[in-house]
Amino acid sequence: MASNEPDHREEDDAPAAEDEDTGAQIAPIVQLEEVAVSTGEEDEDPILDMKAKLYRFDKDGNQWKERGAGTVKFLKHKETAKVRLLMRQSKTLKICANHLVLPNMTVQEHAGSEKSCVWHATDFADGELKKELFCIRFGSIENCRTFMETFQEVAESQTNNVENQDATATAGLLENLSVEEEENKVKKGEEAPAAASEEKETKSVAPKDEKDTETEPEKKD
Amino acid sequence: MALPGQQAVDYPNFKLVIVGDGGTGKTTFVKRHLTGEFEKKYEPTIGVEVHPLDFFTNCGKIRFYCWDTAGQEKFGGLRDGYYIHGQCAIIMFDVTARLTYKNVPTWHRDLCRVCENIPIVLCGNKVDVKNRQVKAKQVTFHRKKNLQYYEISAKSNYNFEKPFLYLARKLAGDANLHFVESPALAPPEVQIDMAAQQQHEQELAAAASQPLPDDDDDTFE
Repeated sequence: MASNEPDHREEDDAPAAEDEDTGAQIAPIVQLEEVAVSTGEEDEDPILDMKAKLYRFDKDGNQWKERGAGTVKFLKHKETAKVRLLMRQSKTLKICANHLVLPNMTVQEHAGSEKSCVWHATDFADGELKKELFCIRFGSIENCRTFMETFQEVAESQTNNVENQDATATAGLLENLSVEEEENKVKKGEEAPAAASEEKETKSVAPKDEKDTETEPEKKD
Repeated sequence: MALPGQQAVDYPNFKLVIVGDGGTGKTTFVKRHLTGEFEKKYEPTIGVEVHPLDFFTNCGKIRFYCWDTAGQEKFGGLRDGYYIHGQCAIIMFDVTARLTYKNVPTWHRDLCRVCENIPIVLCGNKVDVKNRQVKAKQVTFHRKKNLQYYEISAKSNYNFEKPFLYLARKLAGDANLHFVESPALAPPEVQIDMAAQQQHEQELAAAASQPLPDDDDDTFE
C-alpha cells in the first residue's frame, strides 16, 4: 500500500464543497416540462410510518438480499378499508415493496435478530405480481415489535373486512377502531411518524399533507 | 436507444456509458439501483451489459440505458463501439486503489474521442472503507476537465442517487429537477389457497433462520 497517507480522517476526506457544480456548461438535449405528480397514496391514510431496511429471499442462492432502505408504511384505503404495505427507497423514492395485507398473513421474528421479522407476500413493487419472502430490519427492537403488532392487527382487521359483506359499514367501523390503535402505536414508536403526530392534533390523517409534514422538523415530538 | 429485444419507451431516455477500471464497482453500483442488492462477489463484466433504469422526477419519468462496460482490458470487447451515441457518462474509480484513479484520464480521453461534449460524472467509489488511498483533496482531475465529482459508496448508498440526479439535470437543462415518489399502483387482489399458504410458511420458517447479509449499521438513510 502506498502510504504517505496515514489514517483515514474524516475532515481530510470531505470534498471542498460537496455539491459544487464543476461540470462543463453543456447544452441540454431535452426540454422537460414540470408535470403533475401522483404518489398513488392520495386515497389512503398512513397507519404506521418507520425507517427500515428491507430484504428479499433469493431462493436459488438460499440467502437474503438487500432490497432497499427507506420508509415503510401501512396505508389504509379511505373507502375500502383495505390496507397495504408500501415501502420506498430513500433518495430515489422508488418502490421496493407494495402489497395488500391479507387476513391469512403472518409475520414472525427473524431467528437471528430481534430487530428483524419475516413474512410472505405476493408483491407488486415492480408492477407485476411476484411471490416474495421479505425480511425487514429496524433500528431498534421496539420499532420491530411495533411493526409486527401493527401488521398482525391489520391482518386480523382484514378478516372482519372480508366477512362483512357490507364493506362500507365495516370501513367506517374499522376507521374508528384503528384511529385509537394508531395513537397507541405512535406513542410506542421511537420515530414518531410525521403523519401520526399530526393525528394527535387533528384526530385525522390527511395523506395529502403528509409530504409537507415530513419536512417539518417540529413534528417529531 | 433501446437494444433489439428491449421495448422502446415513450418517455425521455438516455444512453449512459459507465467506464472505469475493473473492480471499481460499476456493476455493483448498477445492480444496487436495479434490485437494491449489494453484490460482494466480484465477477468481471465481459464486454458490456445494458440495463434500463427508470427514475421519476417532477418533470416526469425518465430512463437511463446504463451501458455497464468491462473494466478489465482482456474482457474489453468493442470499446469504442459501446461509447457511440453515448449521451452522458460515469467514470468510476476506487478510492482504495490508487491506480484506478491514475487511469481516469485514459478512460476520459477514450470516452471523449467518441462522445464529445456530454455531461460526465466522476465517481470515487468505496468511500465507506476506512483506509483510503485516494483522499478527497487529491481528486483534482474533474476540475481540469470540467467534470462533476461525487464520492459514493455502493455499499452504504452514500450519494448513490447523485450521479443520476446530476446527469438528469444537465440533460434537461433544469437545475431544479428532482426525484419524486413513483406512483404506487394499487396491488391487485390475490387469492391464496391453503396448500400454497402451508408451503409459504415452510419456506418462511427456513428463510427466517438464514442470516441477513452482514451489515450492522442501524442507520437507514
